[in-house]
Amino acid sequence: MIKDKVKNKSIHLSTLTIIAISITVAAAVAVSVFSFITVYNRSLVRDASTSSEQAVGQATGAVNNYLQELKVKIDQICGEISDSKNIDEVNERIAVASRLQTDIEAIMVYDKDGNLLAFSSNGNKLKNDTQLNLSFDKSNTENIKGYNMSLPHVENLFYEYYPWVVTITHPEYEELFGETVYITVDFSFSNIAKYIDNVGIGQHGYCYIADESGNIVYHPQQQMIFSGIKQEDISDVVKLADGVHRNNNIIYSLNTLDNNSWRIVGISHIDELTSEKTETILRVVLITMLCCSAIAIAVVLVFSKIVTKPVRGIVAEMQKFEHRVDDFKYSPVFDRVAEVQVISESFEHMSGMIKDLMDEVRAEEITLRKTELKALQAQINPHFLYNTLDSIQWMCEQGKNEDAVKMVGALAKLFRISISRGHELISIKDELKHAESYLIIQSYRYKNQFKYTFNVDKSVEDCFVNKITVQPLIENAIYHGLDRMVDEGEIDINVSVDLNNDILIDVRDNGVGMTSSQCVKILKKERSDSSGIGIKNVNDRLKIYFGENYGISIKSELDVGTTVTVRIPQLREEPENEV
Amino acid sequence: MKFKKLLAVFLACVIMLSLTACGSSDKKYSVYVITKSTNSNFWEDVERGVRAAATEYNVNIVFEGPSSEEDYLAQNKMINEAVENGADAIVFSAIDYYQSDKTIEAAAAAGVKIVMIDSDISSKEKSTFIGTDNFAAGETAAKSVIDKFGTEQIVKIGIINYDEGSNNGQQREAGFRSYLKNFGNIQIYDTVRAVSNTTSAMASTIILLNNYPQVNVVVGFNEWMSLGIGKAIEQRNLQDSIYAIGFDNNVVSVGMLESGEMDVLIVQNSFAMGYLGVESACNVLNGKKISENIITATTAITKENMFSRDNQKILFPFQ
Repeated sequence: MIKDKVKNKSIHLSTLTIIAISITVAAAVAVSVFSFITVYNRSLVRDASTSSEQAVGQATGAVNNYLQELKVKIDQICGEISDSKNIDEVNERIAVASRLQTDIEAIMVYDKDGNLLAFSSNGNKLKNDTQLNLSFDKSNTENIKGYNMSLPHVENLFYEYYPWVVTITHPEYEELFGETVYITVDFSFSNIAKYIDNVGIGQHGYCYIADESGNIVYHPQQQMIFSGIKQEDISDVVKLADGVHRNNNIIYSLNTLDNNSWRIVGISHIDELTSEKTETILRVVLITMLCCSAIAIAVVLVFSKIVTKPVRGIVAEMQKFEHRVDDFKYSPVFDRVAEVQVISESFEHMSGMIKDLMDEVRAEEITLRKTELKALQAQINPHFLYNTLDSIQWMCEQGKNEDAVKMVGALAKLFRISISRGHELISIKDELKHAESYLIIQSYRYKNQFKYTFNVDKSVEDCFVNKITVQPLIENAIYHGLDRMVDEGEIDINVSVDLNNDILIDVRDNGVGMTSSQCVKILKKERSDSSGIGIKNVNDRLKIYFGENYGISIKSELDVGTTVTVRIPQLREEPENEV
Repeated sequence: MKFKKLLAVFLACVIMLSLTACGSSDKKYSVYVITKSTNSNFWEDVERGVRAAATEYNVNIVFEGPSSEEDYLAQNKMINEAVENGADAIVFSAIDYYQSDKTIEAAAAAGVKIVMIDSDISSKEKSTFIGTDNFAAGETAAKSVIDKFGTEQIVKIGIINYDEGSNNGQQREAGFRSYLKNFGNIQIYDTVRAVSNTTSAMASTIILLNNYPQVNVVVGFNEWMSLGIGKAIEQRNLQDSIYAIGFDNNVVSVGMLESGEMDVLIVQNSFAMGYLGVESACNVLNGKKISENIITATTAITKENMFSRDNQKILFPFQ
């Protein structure tokens, strides 16, 4: 019960280790992941800005080159027209030119009023009346100078043919026509689109072209923008200066094209970049962490098997030791872990030492007690001696020499046996002689107020018993049992063997008797007159010599009598170490 | 003992987690787009939208449709094949409002996600419908009649419409009729049925014009009807006397708009249908919630506004 309570409150060593390792691993991983992500994100943003700038720069270069090429193509076409001698030849030469250049959708030559002078159609059928010519605005010819580039638009010059084009209009004076003519070339827009489509910034970044007033010139996802599926916030973006800008999570990179007002805008999303990669990292880290904890737990398990288990074993042994020192025997376990081995061995050594020490202390205590008791034995009640000597004197004076001799003989025997050459244990025969001597002396003193009988099992006469065991019992019977009696008292001393083979020495009187509380008291109380030997003293000695199972028991009944029983084992040889 | 059990459970969890983490390495979804036909401009534009979304969402696309816009059996066969070939989602446009229900329900039961575009089915086993609000598109067509003729001048209308099984055509016609019901000057003479191809639509228009020579407005409710009407008007030289209203932007019908055979084209956002169809399929596959109905815009295009900057973008796909 107590053990269970303790178990509930305290933590096992292995659990503690697992918790400690888990916390350490988790904390270490968390800190490293956090710092790593911070650093990583910062570098990611920097990289994204750089790559955005580079991508847009490359696209700008490519588009610039392409537009330059277009001018060269227009100059070549102008050359062809200059070299022609009549309109037919012009038509023929520009037809060849537009056939050779795959990106030319149409070449048209207008005068300043918008009349068509020559054209190449690439095999398409020209409409008779184009209400609204999207390629050439004849109302605005004065403003056309150099190489005028239109926004992308649908070409609507031919029947059932509507390609998306960019128109470049170039005014030039031609001898053949005798005036400034407007050479208008519709270039398929898909080439420029290709340059822009192929620009990738990071995973989801892209480029688009806008003009300075915020119109989309080309957007790779323009269909989605036109369809209203996506929105692009252009009007604010085109106000930004060239270079890299960052707005919340979006990196804008802008570049203006060389000789017109178009601008290339690169867009990339930081959160997309970072969160996706962070997620991957976090997932990897999480898995690593779980694996680490799993490994840690496995390690701890092994560890606990190697260390904790033997330690726990030792702890259990210690508890056992604590409860029952006497019959504790510890044999050290062999263990590979040196410390455990040391603990185990030390514990063995220590427990042995403690046991020895306890035995020693106990032995010393017993010796001390024995000595003490012996000192008491050596005392002879002086009153008893004076009274006896008085009685002898009186006998001599009365001429009762025979009685005096008997008395002196009994007294001498009493003292001789009391001393017994310092031996504590004497034979029952001697002890009974001692008791008898006492009874002889007392019977003279008490003038035959009592009778006594001995009834002895002869087979145990030679067994050993503490000396002065029976005499105090008789003394007690005389003083407390018979003294106050009117009738003649009887004292019976019985020596018998019981079923357990123990020797029982009964001292029975028919005196006044005692209450049961008096019986208990008499076994606990030292003698009040502090001389001679009390029943407690006898009992203590018996227990010291023979153990707790032996000693004195008292049975008494008021007005009937008292029986004091001494129980001792059959001890036939005197112990050697007897002091 | 209890501790050991807990430990075992924990270790098992760790292993499972690591396995799922490895297993979740991006699987490419395969999305089947089954259309009503593949040879019209409308569906080409849908395909552009589909491809754009496929690139963006990184899915495999199979784009197919029957050669005839009446062949719902071929569509059902395609659905079954798609399911067999392990389609994760089908983006479907039904030829017939009812005839594909069972096939679609079987596909849905097999765990395939269904996204309807352009033409719906009656079955409820679909994640969403994306398309024109056909009733409203019909109303837009009707509105252009009122815009042109006002509420005084008597207008005599003939309708050329396609397959009665198709929900789209019926809805558009219903919207058209419903809008004009309230105007006293409008008389609708007849609806002549045609099969979804130019020849049949042209023949039906000629029948209509023969039966009702007084008709001065002709309406057709899909790409083929529009082309048929335009051809008939061209043949009869009725460009100036007949106000023709059509649907969808075919290169030819756009040419007719310019040359006068056709006067109004109701243009649907077909690119958006394709794009949103695949996008919705991906969202459903990734467990995101999407709305039950996504309406794509329609625009009425006339000769006057056809080349405005915005309408250029709607009318002429960028190739």
